[in-house]
This record gives sequence, structure tokens and C-alpha cells, in this order.
Amino acid sequence: MFKLKVSDAKLLRDMVTAISILVDEATFKIEPEGLKLRAMDPSRVAMIDFEWPKTVFEEYVCEAPSKMCINISELLRLLKRAGKDEAVELSLDEKTGRLQIKITGKYSRNFNMPTLEASEEEVPTPKITFNVKAKATTQGLSQAIEDAQLVSDHVRIEADTEKLVLNATGDLMGATITLQKGSDALLDLEVKENSKATFSLSYLAEIIKAASATSDIATLEFSTDMPIKIDFQQTKEGKLTFFLAPRIESE
Amino acid sequence: MQKEKLTVLTNPRLEEAAAAIEKAFTQRKTLIVAGKCRVRYAGRANSTLEPGERILIIKEDGSLLVHRPVGYEPVNWQPSGSVFHVHTKADAVEVHAVRQKPRESVIVTFSEIFMVSILSLMDFGEFALYASEEDMHRAILLKPSLLEEGFTPISYEKKVEPGFVDVYGIDKNGKLVVVEVKRRTASKEAVLQLVKYIDAIKGKADRELRGVLVAPAIGKDVQRMLATLGLEFKALDPKKCAQILRKAETAKLEDFFKQ
Repeated sequence: MFKLKVSDAKLLRDMVTAISILVDEATFKIEPEGLKLRAMDPSRVAMIDFEWPKTVFEEYVCEAPSKMCINISELLRLLKRAGKDEAVELSLDEKTGRLQIKITGKYSRNFNMPTLEASEEEVPTPKITFNVKAKATTQGLSQAIEDAQLVSDHVRIEADTEKLVLNATGDLMGATITLQKGSDALLDLEVKENSKATFSLSYLAEIIKAASATSDIATLEFSTDMPIKIDFQQTKEGKLTFFLAPRIESE
Repeated sequence: MQKEKLTVLTNPRLEEAAAAIEKAFTQRKTLIVAGKCRVRYAGRANSTLEPGERILIIKEDGSLLVHRPVGYEPVNWQPSGSVFHVHTKADAVEVHAVRQKPRESVIVTFSEIFMVSILSLMDFGEFALYASEEDMHRAILLKPSLLEEGFTPISYEKKVEPGFVDVYGIDKNGKLVVVEVKRRTASKEAVLQLVKYIDAIKGKADRELRGVLVAPAIGKDVQRMLATLGLEFKALDPKKCAQILRKAETAKLEDFFKQ
């Protein structure tokens, strides 16, 4: 038996939106302690690591661990029908294998959708020693990314002990965006070794935009030519972390 | 002083050959020896190759290959990093190649040597390989319009009994698309493979299904068979895929899972 309830639909919708950035068919692990998801996008460049402990929910029932795979964009379409203060209840009908979505507010709606065959793939965590750890506001971060997107489709992120610099070079134009340590955008910066790595802006922008709805503060960790880890601090309990593989700069 | 590119000894006496081989080892040069030899290998298994006329190649990185006059694969070999010694016996020259971990040794005993050549070769060229089938999958994922406009990939190498679907996604009309990729001219076997996957997915899918066979070319009769089964063909050149991958050089996250 599996059932969960949130009193504010927005919380669930924002989280599902963040997941939908990378995966279309998501296999959730349903455990007595909470809900987990760890998956890579189809081109295997980015990964999401998501956990919601049962305390986030108004109600959470899981009798035995199981897996559930659902089409995220379809689920999102249904969740978008829920208003801000409406409650959402998800439950799995074990007989039919269908997911029931109940939205209650001014009136009540019962949707149901099929579940898909759960993926057996266990996605490990990339093994990386990070030399840079930067704590930034998601607002500052998304603006910096938007700046860089004006000129290019990829950005080099560099850090030394004083600052975080985003360097974008396009075919015609270039941009250098500097976030000083201790500024309103960059709250904290720990650098063991000066590092730089290049990432696709479309992935970064989508991840940061979607995750910003759930979080005000993000922690970025990276090393030269290694994947970046972006952890979005959740207002309630829970974890939302992304990994993104670097572009390898060759001629 | 100009570096000597090449030393060749033809029909040398055994002790002459041994001295030249020894010199090649100390100078870390590429060595080719042709002669009548016997080969013994001891390590994870044991093997003996009876006497015969063969070519021994030892490269400057310490890898060893013994080739017979036929076949493209070496009959004996040692990977790079092996340590070499030459032993001169009364009627033979023995070349020992020893690798520490795992402990493996190859001993090549020459009773006659026809030729020894010692080469100083320079090679900094890059090796360009046209796309493999997996590269073709990746190219489609990076640029889904290679398949068709409006295609959105969902997954690749998706496990579907009896195997793995190459690429799997949704077209612009919301239909599921199952893609089978071949890097050579599509055969009937490829069509049957696609049919198997389609049948396996049909039972579980929640929407309409299309099957597309992707390959550089297709035979006429295969095309007919495909059409009869209601499946489609899309021509895709592996060379084009290789170009797309070169442009988009984003690493895969999996490259960082073990280290």
C-alpha cells in the first residue's frame, strides 16, 4: 500500500517540474522512510538525486518498499490543474497498477494514470573530489546564467579564493560575469585549488530555473574538468541535487 | 647528430642479432625480428607454439606481438610495460618478455634469424574512427532531428526482453517511437529484431507505437518487408554521426562513476 498527501499542491508540482527537466519516465523508490528518485537524463549528461522524507508530507503510508515508474510529463499536466492551496493525494491502486491523483479544494477531482515498468538501473553517485564549494542564491545564479546565455550555449565556471567567474564565449560575443565572495549573490566560497570547468548552458539554465522554485540557496561543488554538483537547499526537509558532466575542451 | 631512423640486419649470425636486439631494448626502440622460432607462454594459462617461421614485433612501450605468416591477430602477445631480456645460447637466441602483474612471461626462442630491424618511429597523428553503433545512438540523442523533426528521446538502451532497445522516444504527435540502429546496410535480421521489441512494448505501452529502422542503407527486399510490417526506414550515415559527436564533446556522467 502506498499513499501520500500534501496540503499545498505547489510543493509537489514544483518538485515534479524539477524532475521533469531531466527525466520523462521516472522510477521512484517508495520506502517506509520516504520517497526517492535517482536518474540520469537520456543522453546521460546529467543526473538528479531526489529524496523526500515522509515528514514532508501531511500523510505518508508505505507498508513495504517498492518501485513505481510514471510518465512525469503526464503527471505534471494533471498536477497543473491544482491551485495553490489545494491538497493533492497520490495513491497506488495495487489491483489495477494505476496511480490515483486526487485534488481537493473548491471541488474535488480524481484522476488516474497508468504506471510503467520500473527501471532496474541503479544509478551510482559520481566519485569526485571537489576543490571548490560555493554557496549562492538561486536568484543570483539564474541571473548570471541568463547573462551568459545571451552570448553562448556553454559557459566556463572558474573559481579562486576571492571570486566565482562565469566566462561565456560565443561565435560573435563574449561575457564575463563575476560573483565576489561575500556579495549578495555569492554567500560563501571555499577553494582548495583554483578550478575551472565548462558546462552546457541549456542544462544549467533549465536545472536552476526549475529548482529555484523549490529553493533559495544552492551549493555548487566542482573541480577542473569534472562534473558539477548543485545541491538545492530545500525549505522543508528533503534533498534535491543535480550532477552535470563537463564539456571537455578539445580543439 | 641525426638520429638513426633504421638499422636492418639481413641473415645475421645469431650473436650479431642478439647484440642488435639487446641494443634495441636498452634504447627503447621498435623492433621487428623475422625468423624460425618456438614460443612458450606461462601465466594465467600455459601454451607452447611449435617451431615455425614468424615475425616478432616489440614496440617502444614494451608491448610484444608474435605473428604467423597468416591471420591478422597475433598468436602470442604481451601488453605494454613488459620487461625484456635476451639470452644467447649455443644454437639459439631467446627473447624473454616478463610482466609483473599479473605474472606472465613469453619466451621466444629463435633457432634461425632472417632479419632484424630496429626503428625509431615518430607518430603523433590522431586516429579518426567513423562512428560505432553506440556513437550513432548518442548522435541521435544529442540531435534528435537526425531521426525526424519533433522527436524527443526518452531513453536509450532500454531493457526490453529479449534485449535492449537502441533509442526510444516520442514523436511530435505523441506517438511512441522505437528505434533500432544499424551501422551497416539494414538486413532482414534487423527488421525482425525491431519487430520483437515492438511486440514486447506493445503490451505495456499507453499510446500508439511506431518502429523505425535506422541504417546507412537498406536492401530493396528488406524495405518491402519493413513496409509490409508497417515499419519505417530512416537513412543515417555513421560519418555524419561522428561529425555531430565531434562538435558536441560533452562528457558522459558515467565516465565519473568509477575512479
